[in-house]
Amino acid sequence: MIRLNGSSYTQALRLTATIGPGVAWITVFLFLPSVLMGLLAFLTNGAYGQPVMPLTTDAFKQVAGFNFLGWSPGNLQVIGRSLLQAGYTTIATILLAYPVAFFIAGVRERYRAFLLLLVIIPSWTNQVVRTYAWMQLLAPDTPLSDLAVHLGLIPQHLGLYPSNYAVSMGLIYNYLPYMVLPIYASVEKLDWRLVDATRDLYANSWRVFWHGVFPQTIPGLLAGIILVAIPAFGAYIVPQLLGGDKAMMLGNLIASQFSSLPNWPFGAALTLVMLAFTFIGLAVFRRLSRKLNAGEANLL
Amino acid sequence: MRSGIAKKISNAVALATLGFLWMPLVVVVAFSFEPEMAAVHLTGFTLDWYGKVLEGGGMLNALFKSLELGLTSALIGTLFGAFLAVGLHKYRGRGFAVLALIVYLPIVMPDVIYGISQMVFFNYLKQFIGWPNAGLLTMGIAHISFQIPYVALIVYARLVGLDRDLVNAAADLYASPLKSIYAFWIPVLRPALIASFLLAFTLSLDDFVISFFTSGPGSVTLPIYIWGSIAKHGVTPETNAIASLLIGAVLLVALIQTYLSARRVGHLAPTSN
Repeated sequence: MIRLNGSSYTQALRLTATIGPGVAWITVFLFLPSVLMGLLAFLTNGAYGQPVMPLTTDAFKQVAGFNFLGWSPGNLQVIGRSLLQAGYTTIATILLAYPVAFFIAGVRERYRAFLLLLVIIPSWTNQVVRTYAWMQLLAPDTPLSDLAVHLGLIPQHLGLYPSNYAVSMGLIYNYLPYMVLPIYASVEKLDWRLVDATRDLYANSWRVFWHGVFPQTIPGLLAGIILVAIPAFGAYIVPQLLGGDKAMMLGNLIASQFSSLPNWPFGAALTLVMLAFTFIGLAVFRRLSRKLNAGEANLL
Repeated sequence: MRSGIAKKISNAVALATLGFLWMPLVVVVAFSFEPEMAAVHLTGFTLDWYGKVLEGGGMLNALFKSLELGLTSALIGTLFGAFLAVGLHKYRGRGFAVLALIVYLPIVMPDVIYGISQMVFFNYLKQFIGWPNAGLLTMGIAHISFQIPYVALIVYARLVGLDRDLVNAAADLYASPLKSIYAFWIPVLRPALIASFLLAFTLSLDDFVISFFTSGPGSVTLPIYIWGSIAKHGVTPETNAIASLLIGAVLLVALIQTYLSARRVGHLAPTSN
């Protein structure tokens, strides 16, 4: 772009004046703390949980399960459980979101806004409240707990909460709207001519869906997976309220290293592990969405 | 898919899922009227718990703290975010990579990490330079950091839709910076600024995890208050009453918004820009 007025000096001044405050704020209050956490992971755990010199990789050994008592799988189990829970949540929300998206797209136009609102309003309610509601629904002697007892999932007179099941339920509930909305956006502008074409070729209804409908919803699906999988993996509120010690996820393990029985270097090392998984996941997604040419899913 | 049994099953799943989304909210509201503590089935009807919540004062106090934090942080976040968007729009090129990084880091970073790294950072700052004290100040700083990217995204989207010549003309007319802000940027960006401010405010009100880790004594916001009362007393009708009031507030806002947008569509032609 050619600028007719202003020297490069005034341009630089203007640039500083406009982006300066925001960039400075984020650098000081967001990048610095993140870098600090990265450094803490390489320090030694002091007598009161405070990080001290010298630099070590002890914290990472502890993540892998090694401590002064030998090796135990506890930490790796927590990481594995977080990955599994994120996986379950993503799959379950996809399976529930498709029918909802098609249902909303299939009603008359004037009702669609109302149905969308029905999906959105619960997600506007605070996450603490939404999760706390499930504490009551999954308590002992409630219909859902009784059902679980009948199915042999849990012993008699026990509730579903706290448990891994409760955490799954809470995660699916909390993140479902973030899957429905992007998939709905794709379904709404579906090109039905392509669908009719598959039908004209005598495809059965499954093949119509698989070859005619599904490929068109991939951008929405990918966006939904990012919006659900990453927060579910890093969840804190849901496992804290609905899980017990045996349902702990990575977010809770990290938090506990900074509050009760603090061990900051260990907590910081776990943080790096969580970030690593998050960014690896995003990178895989970026490649996948480029390959599938799903422009809208390009969040990065 | 459009015909036959597959469609019927799909629709049944859809309706069940909508029910699933509303069931917890309905249960919370229903049990807020339940007279017995720790009841599994509804046995009666009372408004006592609402009275207790409102006379206790703790909740109202927390609400005011939430509003104070939300309004102040949203104001500053919108200001910084809007400036950031304008600057990066003008000076495309290398700045773009920076925008992507700044915009996406807080959005993709899990909030536990975000909250705890802020807490640790403030802790060290306090130790070395004696500032800041944990409380509304540290919470506000953390909230502004996550609001700036969202605001920048919204304002940037609006700027991309604007005519570039219009933006350049404003710069070429030798207006003083203040004058151009007042006479050009604010009117042009008004819808985006209002939307950004409301989003920033909502993000702040809604946030629990980041607030929780950066809070201090005397800075109990509404989600932290609810969290504390669950930790102390477990599930009680009183907490149900607080939660119901929140659900009611959300419904009210949704209704007002629907009404306003319906009216806009009805009486005004689609905007030309």
